[in-house]
Amino acid sequence: MSRPPLDGIRVADFCWAWAGPYGALQLAHLGADVIRIESAKRLCPSRLIPPWPDNESGVNRAGYFNQYNQGKRSLTLDLKAPEAIDIAKTLVSKSDIVMNNFASGVMEKLGVGYDVLRRIKPDIIMVSLPGYGTSGPEKDFVSYGPPQVAQSGLSALTGYVGGPPMMAGFSYGDPNGGVHATFAVMAALLHREKTGQGQYIDLSQWEAAIMLLPEALMDYSMNGTQPERMGNRDPHMAPHGVFRSKGDDRWVSLSVRDEAEWQRLCEVMGQPELSSDARFATLAARKENEAALEEMVTAWTQERTADEATQALQSAGIPAYPAVDAIDMVNSPHVGSRDYFVELEHPEVGTRRHMGIPWTMSRTPCEIRRPAPCLGQDTDAVLTEIVGLSQDEIAALRERDILT
Amino acid sequence: MPGALSGFRIVECGEMVSAAYASKLMADMGAEVIKIESPHGGDAARQRGPFPGGKPHAEKSGLYLFLNTNKRGITIDLEQAQGQEVFQRLAKDADLLIHNVHPKHMPAAGLDYGRLAAINPGLVMTSITPFGLRGPHTEYEASDLTLWNAGGLCFLNGGGPGTDHLPPLKAFGQQAGFTAGVHAAVASLGALFARLRGGLGQHVEFSVQECLMGISEFGTMMASYAGMAVTRLGHKPIQPLDLLECKDGWIFICCVEEHHWHSFVDLMDNPEWATEPLFEDRLKRGESWDALKLLIQDWVKDFTVQDLYLKAQARRIPFAPVSTMGYLLNSDHLNARGFFVQLDHPEAGSLTYPGAPHICSETPWELRRPAPCLGQHNTEVYTELGMTAQDLATLQRAGAV
Repeated sequence: MSRPPLDGIRVADFCWAWAGPYGALQLAHLGADVIRIESAKRLCPSRLIPPWPDNESGVNRAGYFNQYNQGKRSLTLDLKAPEAIDIAKTLVSKSDIVMNNFASGVMEKLGVGYDVLRRIKPDIIMVSLPGYGTSGPEKDFVSYGPPQVAQSGLSALTGYVGGPPMMAGFSYGDPNGGVHATFAVMAALLHREKTGQGQYIDLSQWEAAIMLLPEALMDYSMNGTQPERMGNRDPHMAPHGVFRSKGDDRWVSLSVRDEAEWQRLCEVMGQPELSSDARFATLAARKENEAALEEMVTAWTQERTADEATQALQSAGIPAYPAVDAIDMVNSPHVGSRDYFVELEHPEVGTRRHMGIPWTMSRTPCEIRRPAPCLGQDTDAVLTEIVGLSQDEIAALRERDILT
Repeated sequence: MPGALSGFRIVECGEMVSAAYASKLMADMGAEVIKIESPHGGDAARQRGPFPGGKPHAEKSGLYLFLNTNKRGITIDLEQAQGQEVFQRLAKDADLLIHNVHPKHMPAAGLDYGRLAAINPGLVMTSITPFGLRGPHTEYEASDLTLWNAGGLCFLNGGGPGTDHLPPLKAFGQQAGFTAGVHAAVASLGALFARLRGGLGQHVEFSVQECLMGISEFGTMMASYAGMAVTRLGHKPIQPLDLLECKDGWIFICCVEEHHWHSFVDLMDNPEWATEPLFEDRLKRGESWDALKLLIQDWVKDFTVQDLYLKAQARRIPFAPVSTMGYLLNSDHLNARGFFVQLDHPEAGSLTYPGAPHICSETPWELRRPAPCLGQHNTEVYTELGMTAQDLATLQRAGAV
C-alpha cells in the first residue's frame, strides 16, 4: 500500500475558529497526523454554531467543525495549567510542525512561543497566522475572517455597478489565510528535509488577502486609480454575467471570451443576425451597449432552466454554468461521479456528506481516513503513545481537571 | 541566503492565473521556474492589464507582471513536433511540471503523464483543471466567473433581503484562479515531499470546482446537515457584521462575541436604545438588523474611517476599514512589515508590487527578477539544454519557438 505524502509527519495544532483549522486540514489531507489541542473550558467557536443535524446542538454535532477538522485527532488540555504546558511541550518535541492562529503574543504568554519550542525541538517548523501578522504597529489589533474581506481591499472592489461595497463569501479571509500559511509550511518542510533546518513563519492574513487583487493594486501603482465596482462584468469580455433563468431565483453564468464565441452565442440564441448588428459587432461596441446586450441575453436565458442554458452554451463551446446553491452542490451528478464527497460514519451525526480533497495523486493517494474528532476523543491515545504517560499518570491529571 | 525551495526546477505552462500563481509562490520562495508561453502572443494575462495609461502593451500588464516575478520565460509551440522535442528535454530535468491547459487540449500539448514519466520517472505533474479529468463536465469550458458559480460561492453574495432583482454577485478579479493556484501549490509541494523521501514522481489531478466547494463555508454544511441553501437574500444570523458608511468612506463593523458588542455600546456612549430587548444578543440583533442598522449608521456617519477603526481596535473590537488601494499602499503597518516592494522592469519601469504574506526566519522571500518579456530567456535556456545557436535558428524558422 502506498502511503500519503506526509505520512509520519506530526502537527501540534493549536489552531481554532477557522483560518488555522482550514490550513491544518490541508496537512491532514496530505496525510500528516494532525493533533488538535482543544479545551472544553474554552471551546472552539466552530463547535458552537449551527448547522446541527435535526437542529439539535452539541459540541460534536456542528457541521462547521466537522467539515474543517476531518482527518485530525483531538487532545483536550487546559493550557492554563502548568502540567498541561509540560504535556504540550513534550508533544511538540515529538512533532514536526506547530500551527496557531491566536492573536499575536498569546503563544508566548502561554509559555510555548517559538524561542521556547526551538530549544525543545531545534528543527521545529512553527507558523503563526494572526490577522495582522506578528510585527508592525497594528500587530495587536484583533481580526476575524469577514473583516479581512473589507480590510484587504476586496470589498471596495466588489459590488454592483453604481452600488456600495460588498462582501465576498462569508469569511473568505479565513480559508485564504489558512491555505497560504500551509503553503509556507510546506516550503519550510521541504527546506528542512534538505538541510535539517527548522524555522518560524509569521503569516499575516491581511497580506494573504491582498495577494488576491493584484489587478487593482497594480492599477493604483501604475495609474493612481481605484477601479470602479462593475458587478459581474469584465473589461475584456461581453456578455459576461449571471443571468436569470427559469425557476425561483435561479441563474446561469456565462462568459463570451472572443468574437468567435460571440457569433456562436448569437447562433445558440437563434439570432445569428445580431453578431453583425453595429451595436454588438465588436467588444468595444458590446461594452458600450452592455445593458441592452444583457437584456437580450436575459430574454433567452429566462426561457430556459439554468441546466438547459448551460448545456446549449457548452455544446457551442461557450463557458457557462448554473449559479449553483449548496443543495445543487451536494447533489451534483458530476461531482458525485468523482471521489470528492466524504461520508464516514461519525458517532454523533452518522454519515453526513462532507467536502473532501480537491486533488488526487496517482502514486501516494490522499484520503480522509477519519471523520472530525469528538472533543477529547484521542486524549488517552495521544498521551500514552506520543507523550509517553502511564495510565496512572493520566488518571491523576484527569482527577485534577487538566485533561478537559 | 537561499530560499526554501532553492534547487527545485519547475516548468510552468500557465495561462492567466491558477498555474501562474502557484508557480509564482514557489519562484518567490527560491524555486527555479521556467514559464513556457506560446510564440503567438504568449499568456493571455499579457492582454488583460491593467496597463500604464490604460494603453494595452504585452509587456506592461499589471496582472502578468505580478504573477510572473522571479520566473524565466521561453516560447514554445507545444503543438508542433519540434516544439515537443524541446518540451520533453525540459521535462526530463524538471522536478515539477505545473499547468492549467484545458483537458481537451492536453493531448495535443504533449501533457501525457505516462509519456513524460517514461522520460523522467521523478517528474511530478500537476494538472489544474476546471472540473477534473473524469466525469461528465470534464470537457466543459470555463471562465473565472463560471467557476466561481460552479463552486457555489457566487450564489452567497449580493444585496441581502429584498434584492432578488439583482443577480448573485461575483467577487472582484480572478478569485477562482487565485484560490485554485495556492491550493494546487500546496498539493504539488506534497508530491515533491513524497519524492524527496525516496519516492517517484506522480500525476496530481486538481479540480478547481471542488477546491471552491471546499471553501464555501456554511454553504455546503447547511445543505448537508440542515437541508438548507444559504442565499444572498437572507438575513445574516448574527449582527453587527456589516459594511457602513462613515464621513469619508466605508467601515466594516464586527461584533462576533457578546463582549465585542458591549464594548461597542460603551464606545457609542451607551445609548438608551442599546438596552432594548430586541438587541439583547447576537441572534436577536441578527433578526432586528434592519432597525438596528439605521441606529448604528446614524452614529457612524460622523466619524472618519480611520478614527472609528482606531477607537474600536483600542477596545479590542475587530472593526476594519474598507480599504482602498491608496489606503493599503500608505498603510504604516504594511510598510513597517515591508509588504510592498519596488521592482524595475525593462519595459514597464519601476512599480510597487505586493510582496509575500509571510516572513520566514531562515529562508527569506526575495524578488530576484521581474516578470520575463515574451521569449526573453529563449537563448539562455536553450543553451542550457545543450542546443546550439544553429538548432535555435532551425526551431525559429519552423515557428516552434
